[in-house]
Amino acid sequence: MSISTSPAPLRTDTQATDNGPPARHDPPIIVFERVSKTYPNGVPAVQDVSFTVRPRDFVFVVGASGAGKSTIIRLLIREETASKGHVLVEGQDLARIRHRHLPRLRRKMGIVFQDFKLLPNLTVAQNVAFAIQVTDPGRTHLKEKVGEALYIVGLEDKLNNYPTELSGGEQQRVAIARALIHRPRIFLADEPTGNLDPDAGWGIVQLLLQINHRGATVVMATHNREVVDLSRRRVLAMEGGRLIRDEQEGQYLKDGEANL
Amino acid sequence: MNPIPVLRYVIGVALQNIVRNRGIAFASVLTVTMTLLGAGAAVAVVSALDGVLHQEESQASVLKVFMADHISFASALNMEHTLGSEPTVLSADFENKNQAAKEAASGLGLSGALKILQETGAGNPLPASINLHLRDIAAVSAINSQVSTSALLYPGPHPTDYNKDVIPRLEKYIFAAQLGGALLVAVVGAVALVIITISVRTAAFVRRQEIEIMKLVGATDWFVGWPFLVEGIIVGVVSAILASAALIGVGLGFGSGGNLALGIGIRFAALVVLGLIVGGAVLGSFGSLVGVRRSLAA
Repeated sequence: MSISTSPAPLRTDTQATDNGPPARHDPPIIVFERVSKTYPNGVPAVQDVSFTVRPRDFVFVVGASGAGKSTIIRLLIREETASKGHVLVEGQDLARIRHRHLPRLRRKMGIVFQDFKLLPNLTVAQNVAFAIQVTDPGRTHLKEKVGEALYIVGLEDKLNNYPTELSGGEQQRVAIARALIHRPRIFLADEPTGNLDPDAGWGIVQLLLQINHRGATVVMATHNREVVDLSRRRVLAMEGGRLIRDEQEGQYLKDGEANL
Repeated sequence: MNPIPVLRYVIGVALQNIVRNRGIAFASVLTVTMTLLGAGAAVAVVSALDGVLHQEESQASVLKVFMADHISFASALNMEHTLGSEPTVLSADFENKNQAAKEAASGLGLSGALKILQETGAGNPLPASINLHLRDIAAVSAINSQVSTSALLYPGPHPTDYNKDVIPRLEKYIFAAQLGGALLVAVVGAVALVIITISVRTAAFVRRQEIEIMKLVGATDWFVGWPFLVEGIIVGVVSAILASAALIGVGLGFGSGGNLALGIGIRFAALVVLGLIVGGAVLGSFGSLVGVRRSLAA
């Protein structure tokens, strides 16, 4: 498989700022402390996993299907709670967050998935606006915010198209625009390139790198070897629910490692 | 948060849900209408029976103590005074034989019969009486026992007009009507609740992707749940309006003299309509809460 490595043109909006490289001395924004998760059927999805992520870091969580990548994301958005250990986001233990406070946590996060999760009966602009309409329906300048988010992902000319009229890559960009609308400090992506061809997938990763460059912390679960190897970012490798490698500027596979 | 866009969103989505699931929404409206119709009819019947009971009670709390023909006027007055001073007696009025005849002629339509008796020389067969107005119907039996052994009383089998069977029989009817009405409302209400719950659960299932996205982008539970609650309230209120229209239509059809059927007044009917609307809204919102609870917990 080959992908074009030529960088996509960076899009910036008027308020974009370059927040520089990860802050090595800042307190971690995400902490996994000896986290285990066993599902009700008894299957251990994550076992004794510990790592920290600093603000403005970009982290790939890699591994084969069933390695525990998606569980890491689900624990971060509190769709699941840890069976053992602690998951902290911005110093807050997610197990202690009350159900009614979850929306506040999720508004700090931008989340995208492999299946885009777009509403087919809404246009691109309506899909992006939806995130504001259901959280803050009285918000002013909605059009401008939607336009800005779509400009960042390069879809400002597709405002009135429906998701079914877009390619997979474009649909994922719409999902990213929707996730960006709250200006999240943490951006989580669960296999965002899983349904895309290599070029479109690489385009999405470049977009996420750009979002990271603008100051957001990005955690991306993937088993796309090419994008990980080309990006040269931090890699957390999972196998059988365990964290087997945590490497700065890592590769999908380390020498001598079996195929994940 | 500005309430107008929120309200617009909530009502818009609720109406959209009803239109999208119009089949099941129609079934919900039909069932809730039947429940409320049953409830309204039961209230009307029980109220009518209650009215009859009160009328009977007020009549029954007047005890006629019939006097023997041979007693003197002074004895009768003495007895009137004695009975009138009893604490359970509000007032005691002496009614002589002529007054009794007049009463029977006008109240019971016996003027013809009395005239014949007068003309044939048989005289007035009706006894004089002391009419006791009692404070409480429960006292009737005690007063009756107290006076019925007096030698001054009319010597026939009924020295007073006390009928011990009337009130308990009426109370039995009222209890049966109330029990039957409550059972009817409970059974049909439970069915309506299940139908509304299924309807809202279906709406939540149809919109599961939207709900999932709403929760992922940080919508609160109440924001997700309100449209379903409003949907339930709309179903309940529309059903209440239909049930009220049907009840009032039937009531007007069989009513007369400014009243609805069973002698129900307009003011009482308005109260029943209000009760049905509130009941429909409560039934609808409760069904919705049960229906959407699972989606919110997921």
